[in-house]
Amino acid sequence: MDFELSEEHLALRESARALIAQRWDRDKSRLALDRPPARMPDSLWKEIASLGWIGVAGTEELGGSGGDLMAALVLAEEAGRGLLPGPFLPALAAGIALDRSAADDQRAELLGHLFAGDRVLVGAYDEPGGTWGPGSLHTTVTPTHTGLVVDGVKILVPDADRASAFVLSGRAGDSTVLAVVPSEATGVEVIPMNRFDGQSMAEVRFASVEVKGSTLIGPGRTPGGGQPADDAYDISTLVCAADLLGVSEAALAMATGYAKDRVQFGHPIGSYQAISHRLADLVVDTELGRSLLFGACLAMAEARDEAPRLVSAAKAWMSDTAIGATETALHVHGGIGFTWELDVHLYLRRARSGAASFGDANFHRDRIATLLAARDPSRSGPELT
Amino acid sequence: MDLRFSEEDEQYRRQLRSWLDGHVMAQRGGGSLASGGGTDIMEAIQMARDWQRTMWEAGYVGLSWPKEHGGQDASLTQQVIVAQELARASVPMLINTIGLSILGPTLIQHGTDSQRARFLPKILSAEELWCQGFSEPEAGSDLANLKTRAVLDGGDLVVTGHKIWTSLAPIADWCFMLVRTDPSAPKRQGISYLLCDMRSPGVKVMPLRNAGGGIHFSEVLFDEVRIPSENVVGELNGGWAITRSTLEHERSGLSGVLSLEQSLSKLRATASDMRRDGRPVVQDQATGRELAQRWIEVEGLRYLGYRTLSAQLAGRQPGPSTSVGKLFASRVRQRISRTALEIEGPLAQVTKRSPHVVDRGRWQAVYFDSIGHSIGGGTAEMMRNAIAERILGLPRTGEG
Ligand SMILES: Cc1cc2nc3c(=O)[nH]c(=O)nc-3n(C[C@H](O)[C@H](O)[C@H](O)COP(=O)(O)OP(=O)(O)OC[C@H]3O[C@@H](n4cnc5c(N)ncnc54)[C@H](O)[C@@H]3O)c2cc1C
Repeated sequence: MDFELSEEHLALRESARALIAQRWDRDKSRLALDRPPARMPDSLWKEIASLGWIGVAGTEELGGSGGDLMAALVLAEEAGRGLLPGPFLPALAAGIALDRSAADDQRAELLGHLFAGDRVLVGAYDEPGGTWGPGSLHTTVTPTHTGLVVDGVKILVPDADRASAFVLSGRAGDSTVLAVVPSEATGVEVIPMNRFDGQSMAEVRFASVEVKGSTLIGPGRTPGGGQPADDAYDISTLVCAADLLGVSEAALAMATGYAKDRVQFGHPIGSYQAISHRLADLVVDTELGRSLLFGACLAMAEARDEAPRLVSAAKAWMSDTAIGATETALHVHGGIGFTWELDVHLYLRRARSGAASFGDANFHRDRIATLLAARDPSRSGPELT
Repeated sequence: MDLRFSEEDEQYRRQLRSWLDGHVMAQRGGGSLASGGGTDIMEAIQMARDWQRTMWEAGYVGLSWPKEHGGQDASLTQQVIVAQELARASVPMLINTIGLSILGPTLIQHGTDSQRARFLPKILSAEELWCQGFSEPEAGSDLANLKTRAVLDGGDLVVTGHKIWTSLAPIADWCFMLVRTDPSAPKRQGISYLLCDMRSPGVKVMPLRNAGGGIHFSEVLFDEVRIPSENVVGELNGGWAITRSTLEHERSGLSGVLSLEQSLSKLRATASDMRRDGRPVVQDQATGRELAQRWIEVEGLRYLGYRTLSAQLAGRQPGPSTSVGKLFASRVRQRISRTALEIEGPLAQVTKRSPHVVDRGRWQAVYFDSIGHSIGGGTAEMMRNAIAERILGLPRTGEG
């Protein structure tokens, strides 16, 4: 029985928090709102790669750091706390997804370059049309004798402008699969989208894109016998939930600091329960979120049956919590909270963007409803029609 | 990270489970005092006492207490296992829970040898049932404002005052209580911790009916009740600190998760059986989302409980973070019952023993019970105050 962060996790968290605060100037997140997208300088990308962060949970023989999934979530949380932009989290998530599902030769070919920061791989999962997630894909991946052909449209793709290749989900016959498609392949078109928080995002069109070689990742190796596309989406979802936890805690810390300092009517505003109780409720929300995140992380790492439900639980909860925490933080700051100069709105924007990424709260609640219904003992009696 | 219990613990679980299997059927229908309206209350109480005694004889009572005081010295994980298995088996609660969880640890920590020898064994065996006489009409959240007086007279303390909301008072043999022994001292410094025989002359119990209709708490009047001074726990005028230290005996909260989980799965069954517009209510999207959200909340509590337990096992004090669990648990309990009444729809107004009643009126009872949960044992506002001050370090908030 051990359900806490280890010494290594704590050390990683501390160094990540310090490094991000030092190297990522949050003013750049603000400036990017007028001139999107927010960009991590190449020097920082290289530094992150050399620290082993991109492959923090990656297999060591392939250049990864050999940490566990929790280590990746620790970094995702710190990225959220420090407003660090992509392509770090998309690349981190793509690497984990490939490490979990790809065949050995594919992993050997792709992961070393990714972990070293030489190539940027990002997931391309959601599609236009209003049905989200890997359950209803229109993109097709068709094997040919030289490789495969991809047809389809992806939206909300993070950091497509920096990507050397996309890890894309699609249908191949009856199964959902992943395929790795180089961004320079003929027929790939990247159309920038504007994201609420200024981070890079795009629509990516794949028009009869031919890819040579074996880049199709089918079922077989995915932990727990699942579908690779579902598993990859769950990993991105979990990373996003961790990002939102960092955002929520940062917002709570800002609001708490202000509530201690700001005096009105002769007392710090934090001595008024209209303020302090809202902050206390945020403690409850973030602690519950952290607990769900840990639970989901462990279930994914061990590929337990309830892993998909728990991933959805963590994401639904953190989506709501991050919005609540950042809105509250803004309100607690009064007029100054409503200014462009204060960082609170940057957190609110990141919260709103993350909450809407990889399935919003209702998407995940509906998914849980479906998964729970599948477990219900079948009720006796004929169905009424 | 690893949520597994050790093989030794699992062995312990299997033993307990097979022991429970042998006893559960015999104990079914034991009835609960809190549910109210029981036909033969005395019989139900006797059964509940017998059940605790049976559990005690089998070695499943007083788990956290040291062996030298009649406890089991059980590990934290074993305590969790017992709570889980008892909830799973749906056996009645231990009737002397107040004595076991509050007074026992207090006496072990602060009592004299003779107090321990006199009281502890009978708490364990349920031979003597206890109630807690803290709250008063003028002293609820602001407990230190209590007015019940105790004056030294020869070898006795003479107690006069008015306690209220005392749970289980009519059936209790003894009461542990807070009284004011030094009216001139600052509020928190003149309070003493006393043990009072409920059959002492001058004690008058007046049961109150609660909002849900049950008899659960009472008013207790003390009119010059003589309590021998050997029944003072700790120092005279040192009662406040003792009370605080018992409140620190916090649990991981994992035991509560199982009962919430069971409640939720009963609710799913109800939602599958009930129809709305010809379809099972569970298939309605809004209901499905609500039920999913309740599931998320219960899972959140579960993993929060594991984090707390894990910290305790590593020898760290979980401290104020347990108030996070308690506050949230009472909220979830309320949300589950509200969701239940929403699922019942127009039938939510139909009560037990009526035609068309849903689940024999269980959700209305659960609903009232859940509302009381965020009042008794410290209101939700008091817990928020504690979180604000002790976790966030905000200035003292709303308590003068
Ligand atoms: C089911 C049940 C069982 C109980 N069992 C026992 C028992 O066995 N023994 C016993 O001694 N007591 C018992 N109690 C009493 C319980 O501890 C008190 O009811 C509780 O502490 C609240 O006190 P009060 O009722 O005086 O309400 P008050 O303290 O008057 O509170 C009224 C309202 O004001 C709010 N409030 C009060 N102070 C503040 C503040 N500073 N800031 C913000 N809001 C505030 C409260 O949160 C509450 O909503 C029980 C109560 C219930 C409901």
